[in-house]
Amino acid sequence: MNSFGRAQHNESVSNAIITHDLGKTYGDRPIVRNLDLRVPEGCVYGFLGPNGSGKSTTMKMLLSLVRPTSGEVHIMGRRMQRSTRRSILGGIGSLIEAPPAYGHLTGHENMRLVQRLLGLDQGQVQRAVRTVRLQEHLDKRVRDYSLGMKQRLGIALALAREPRILILDEPTNGLDPAGIEEMRRLLRYLAEQGITVMVSSHLLGEIDRTAQVLGILGNGRLLFQGSREQLFSRSTPDVLIDTAEPERATTLAARWSAVREGHSVRVPGVDQAATARLVSHLVQGGVPVHGVRRQEQSLEDVFMDLTGGRGL
Amino acid sequence: MNGRAVANEFTKMRRLRVAPLVLIMVVGVVALTCVTFTAPGFLDSVDDPDARPWHWLLAGLALAVPLVSPILLAVLASRQVDMEHQGHGWLLNQVSGVTPGHLCRVKFLSMGALVAGATLAQSALVVALGRAVGISVDLPLGPWLGYTTAIIVVNLVLFALHLLVAARVPNQLVGLGLGVLGVFVTLAGTGMPLWSAHLLPPWGYYAVATPVDTDAGGVVALDPPYLSVLSLGIVGALVFLGVTRMFDRQET
Ligand SMILES: Nc1ncnc2c1ncn2[C@@H]1O[C@H](COP(=O)(O)OP(=O)(O)OP(=O)(O)O)[C@@H](O)[C@H]1O
Ligand SMILES: [Mg+2]
Repeated sequence: MNSFGRAQHNESVSNAIITHDLGKTYGDRPIVRNLDLRVPEGCVYGFLGPNGSGKSTTMKMLLSLVRPTSGEVHIMGRRMQRSTRRSILGGIGSLIEAPPAYGHLTGHENMRLVQRLLGLDQGQVQRAVRTVRLQEHLDKRVRDYSLGMKQRLGIALALAREPRILILDEPTNGLDPAGIEEMRRLLRYLAEQGITVMVSSHLLGEIDRTAQVLGILGNGRLLFQGSREQLFSRSTPDVLIDTAEPERATTLAARWSAVREGHSVRVPGVDQAATARLVSHLVQGGVPVHGVRRQEQSLEDVFMDLTGGRGL
Repeated sequence: MNGRAVANEFTKMRRLRVAPLVLIMVVGVVALTCVTFTAPGFLDSVDDPDARPWHWLLAGLALAVPLVSPILLAVLASRQVDMEHQGHGWLLNQVSGVTPGHLCRVKFLSMGALVAGATLAQSALVVALGRAVGISVDLPLGPWLGYTTAIIVVNLVLFALHLLVAARVPNQLVGLGLGVLGVFVTLAGTGMPLWSAHLLPPWGYYAVATPVDTDAGGVVALDPPYLSVLSLGIVGALVFLGVTRMFDRQET
């Protein structure tokens, strides 16, 4: 009991966002289930999942825009509740589903609205605008902005309050490759400034190299949470055996579900010990083994594996 | 928080042609009322107390207000709210501490002040023009103020209703359609017996508030049921607060 309490305390110090058993049900349809998120402070946290897996719903619960059916949300060690929500939200910048802004107003006027509402000073607004490099376009009406400019304005609106946490829902949606690259650079820069950035995407490639920690959602459940390396080590890549007699090797290794693939044999799901046994079995059977290697696995493959092939 | 949010609403009215719309509301009502000046013999009897020129003018005003106001109030409410749907403003405000219901209340305060001001201006301008054409009879202050106050209440209740509809139904054609329907209900209300106009809130209350009646060339002062209008105001306020509270609790 005691050590549990201590562990929880430590957790809340190093994690900017924690959820316990977070869940949301619409009608009798569970949308998000038993979510235990741990978003470490000062990192970019990539929140991945196929369309409809519940990313936006989860982010809205973090911001208390949607009431959880079960569970708790803790932000910077404080429990999100009706009574705390206003002050907690003051420390979170967010962009949910689509970049907000009034099209009939200029970028400057839009910034001014948030500045007035939150009582920010001119310096805070200017820094936010410069961070997203929008200072040249502030006098243009937002309806004349490109999508990329709208996204950047949305982030500037979120950044102006100088938040400790930034929650961005698919900020790369609809951007061209250059825009996506620029967004990546921006996210890395913000994390370097000590801001915890939680960013969602249904495209792994968009945040794969930017995020230090990944959370993968499938059908409302957290399928994986951890570093890229942990993600790789979790799933066992196929073993490929190069041999001059692939036919005989396939027969011999039938109980490992081996399949022939040209001049090699593919064996799925064998760990290191099993690989050793497999190779020795083949050698004893007189198969000339030229090489044993593991299939290079892309993060995409792992992601597809975890989400049951629905992603990407 | 409220002061800042209200100030923001005025910033957001830029380029939405709010000023011209409010101006049309004022000028439209005043111009229609001034048709009274062209009635045969009106300008000859501006100093005859028995001809009751102010009461004629009040009758003109009571005809013009329900013709012009309902549709313009619908348009004004829709303009204020549509930008929140288009620009994802509900969320933007919510994460800055202004919940959707709160935002509606702020819109009521800011635009409602303009609506009340415009209604007051209509009434005052008609008096000024009456004096300008030479009416020297004493202004019947009671009925005049009573009617002005009553239509401010009815206008605000109708505006609040349109705010709620515009916020609840993102397709603004629905609210505007309701506005057009309201014009017909208003017109129907003026031809109805008083008790049945009571059953058509808020539009029927333009008729309920009517302070004078004209028949066979004469004009008679009525004793409008101000209590009914007051009740409309109170019920309207309670419903508006209740529904916006509900908006506050609703999820996005
Ligand atoms: N208010 C609501 N009422 C009922 N169902 C909802 C509601 N909001 C979301 N859903 C459902 O919840 C599921 C998850 O939606 P959500 O928007 O969280 O997914 P997502 O991971 O953000 O997807 P995407 O990548 O398409 O943005 C969807 O099937 C959606 O239909
Ligand atoms: Mg989404």
